[in-house]
Amino acid sequence: MIRTALEVGMTKSPEAILFWVLAPLSVLAAIGMLLVKKAVHSALLLAWVMISLAIFYIAQEALFLGIVQIVVYTGAVMMLFLFILMLVGVDSADSLLENIKYLRPIAVTAAIGIGGLLVSLIGRATISHNAYGLSIANQNGNVQGLAQLLFTKYVWAFEVISALLITAALGAMVLAHSNKVRSKFSQRDLSAARFRGKKLAEAAGLPGPGVYALHNAVDVPARLPDGSAAATSISRVLEARGDVLESKQFELQQSEDESSDK
Amino acid sequence: MNIANYLYLSALLFTIGSIGVVLRRNSIVVFMCIELMLNAANLAFVTFSRINGNLDGQVVAFFTMVVAACEVVVGLAIIVTIFRSRRSASVDDASLLNR
Amino acid sequence: MLTTPSFEYLLLSPMLIILAAAVIGVLAEAFLDRNHLPVIQLFISVGAILLALIQIYRIKSSSSTSAAIGSVVIDKATIYLQGTILIIGLLALLLISDQEQFVAQASAIPGSREEQESTSKGSIQTEIYPLLSFALAGMMLFTCASDLITLFVALEVFSLPLYLLAGLSRRRRLLSQEAALKYFLLGAYSSAFFLFGAAFLYGISGSVYLVDISSAVSGGYGNDVFVLIGLIFISVGLLFKISAVPFHAWTPDVYQGAPTSVTAFMAAATKVAAFGAILRIFYVVFSPIANQWRPIISVIAIITMVFGSAVAIAQRDVKRMLAYSSIAHAGFILTAVLALNKSGLSAALFYLTTYGLSTLAAFGIITLIRDATGEVTDLNKWAGLGKKSPLIAGSFAFLLLSFAGIPLTSGFIGKFAIFSAAYETGNIAVVVFGVLSSALAAFFYIRVILLMFVAQSQNDSISIAIPSVKSRIAIGATTAATVILGLFPSLLLNITQSFSIFIK
Repeated sequence: MIRTALEVGMTKSPEAILFWVLAPLSVLAAIGMLLVKKAVHSALLLAWVMISLAIFYIAQEALFLGIVQIVVYTGAVMMLFLFILMLVGVDSADSLLENIKYLRPIAVTAAIGIGGLLVSLIGRATISHNAYGLSIANQNGNVQGLAQLLFTKYVWAFEVISALLITAALGAMVLAHSNKVRSKFSQRDLSAARFRGKKLAEAAGLPGPGVYALHNAVDVPARLPDGSAAATSISRVLEARGDVLESKQFELQQSEDESSDK
Repeated sequence: MNIANYLYLSALLFTIGSIGVVLRRNSIVVFMCIELMLNAANLAFVTFSRINGNLDGQVVAFFTMVVAACEVVVGLAIIVTIFRSRRSASVDDASLLNR
Repeated sequence: MLTTPSFEYLLLSPMLIILAAAVIGVLAEAFLDRNHLPVIQLFISVGAILLALIQIYRIKSSSSTSAAIGSVVIDKATIYLQGTILIIGLLALLLISDQEQFVAQASAIPGSREEQESTSKGSIQTEIYPLLSFALAGMMLFTCASDLITLFVALEVFSLPLYLLAGLSRRRRLLSQEAALKYFLLGAYSSAFFLFGAAFLYGISGSVYLVDISSAVSGGYGNDVFVLIGLIFISVGLLFKISAVPFHAWTPDVYQGAPTSVTAFMAAATKVAAFGAILRIFYVVFSPIANQWRPIISVIAIITMVFGSAVAIAQRDVKRMLAYSSIAHAGFILTAVLALNKSGLSAALFYLTTYGLSTLAAFGIITLIRDATGEVTDLNKWAGLGKKSPLIAGSFAFLLLSFAGIPLTSGFIGKFAIFSAAYETGNIAVVVFGVLSSALAAFFYIRVILLMFVAQSQNDSISIAIPSVKSRIAIGATTAATVILGLFPSLLLNITQSFSIFIK
């Protein structure tokens, strides 16, 4: 007998309603994750999928996991993602153009193929029993049941995972923490260095950004007395990121000013 | 509703995630797609836990979350390191990139 | 009510020692004086590995096999594999402790003044020692894990430190960091596949223990669609780790970008650990349905062998060439998985050991060939190396011959054992392709040897660094092992035969 669907028992109708509302939304969100241009939007859509899954966990008698999913995954992991996105530049958009020709149609075809194959395979599977449900396993409470397994049957894996946590902490330290190899220059050193620099004009210090422009902000170059923009007045980092505003647009309009004066 | 629908959902999410890894080029988005795949696997574990009537599947899902958290720390640390190298390379020393 | 779980601490002791060394290393990192750290860390790591080897020796004929509440199975094959991983780890550690391949300060931006200053001050990122120990412990656990949770955790425990180590090269840092990212993303991708497959195996059996899954696979729990899904996805996850085609894309880039001594460790030890797990899973869990997966794995083995050997020919970079050769070797060892009998297992164990040792030696020699900017991996610049240093070039040539499987080298004995095991079980096609691709590979290796000895050197910029005592020990021991195991293979073959037992 060929079955059209895997039969493992039915849920009650409230759960069915919950599923049919949330499941299509989460699939749409997942597809959207691939299509949106900005990484931040992808992250928010992924957070939505994760919250939907948390609700499914709770519906499937996995209360603890549902909470952990929200607290750890959506709360901590996704926040970390967003944090890094902020650091890298929130506007960093993926160019959706591909280097490899036809990758997109091939990938979409493969997606539909693999997804369809997987779903149809699952549909043809059989399990010799209906779903048992977790009412017996959860009779002392879901958390207690999990704890019992975690601290007896799976205690070895639980202990080994500490190695993973240490590795992660150590790795982050290696890549991010720096031992100061030299002391910070004192003000005296900096001052001496300025006067020994190439130009005496720089001895007084670099101009601050945007002071003489109409737009008083760090991303606008200051204007020198002759009206030109002072390139040295902006942090090199902003310049490298391309976050510098064109100073031309803030320059005084010569002709207008003169006419209003008269 | 058939309980197996959760498995179909899991398979769909997994497929979407795995295609995303191939399709997207922003490494952070690729990494998020991998997280989506792990989540899909977790949903399968929780559903099978219900079908089999024991909590072992939920324990696995719990372990997966811990592992994923560690992976995120390491992965994002690597991504930020590269980000810093590239950005500053354009400021300080462009010759490294041209090699 | 909760009962106190019983650990068989003696059986777990090799892993526990390495884990403890890693934790002590982390603590030393935090509290001890930076100037003495390199010596202390090396001492801790080497001491722990030696202690663990002693423990391995002590438990080599222990009667109890399952430990840690059934999460771990310590059988003969495990003990052999763990011993091999420890020895490879020890020798790789000697190479790694020559710190000059590693970045002085990983957090310093490439090309910045901070980087220059920390390099000139000779500061050292000593965290690599604890990271290496964690990786070793994870690999040892990976070969003996007997439930899916422990397998997954062990997979991550040995992968995460390797992702980090791959990004710590001193020269060409952007390349190295990008290698780390690539390794990380594809590694995480493959572990997601592993996990998804594990979910379906749990679904069919209701248990995560390999024993229960094995009995569920052999029948009685409905049809085998879920088994098939689980088998395919778990295999993808594992085949990635051994870099079988078509899951090899990361290998050349990572091997090239990572510091050479880390590459040596990855190439040798990861292969042993991952094949340990693959052998266990296929021998213990999936052997009842061998008819279903044998054709797929045969095809993968064939394309891995042929592709690895063929693409190696086009490489102009020594590290990339060895990367493709390692892909080809993964195909040869997969042939032993197909055999599914004791001689196949024994051949695989032999091959893993000899291949691991020769690879360590080859990468160790690469660290010695340098010019003003660091290691020289461009093959063209290796021309005329034989005249500059006959000993080094000769050893490298010998190792290449061993990779090619020329008689009187350990590589030949390994290939012979594997192909005869596969032939016994009737996988003739695989054997034919294996021999053909060996011949193909031999052609290229011999070209490299001719380049080193016959071709005229175009420039005199390369020099051969005088190896430190530690590198000398590592390279010497591994090369000697390749020679000795080629001349007297029975020394090791007898051991692998008596240790080739997997217990369910």
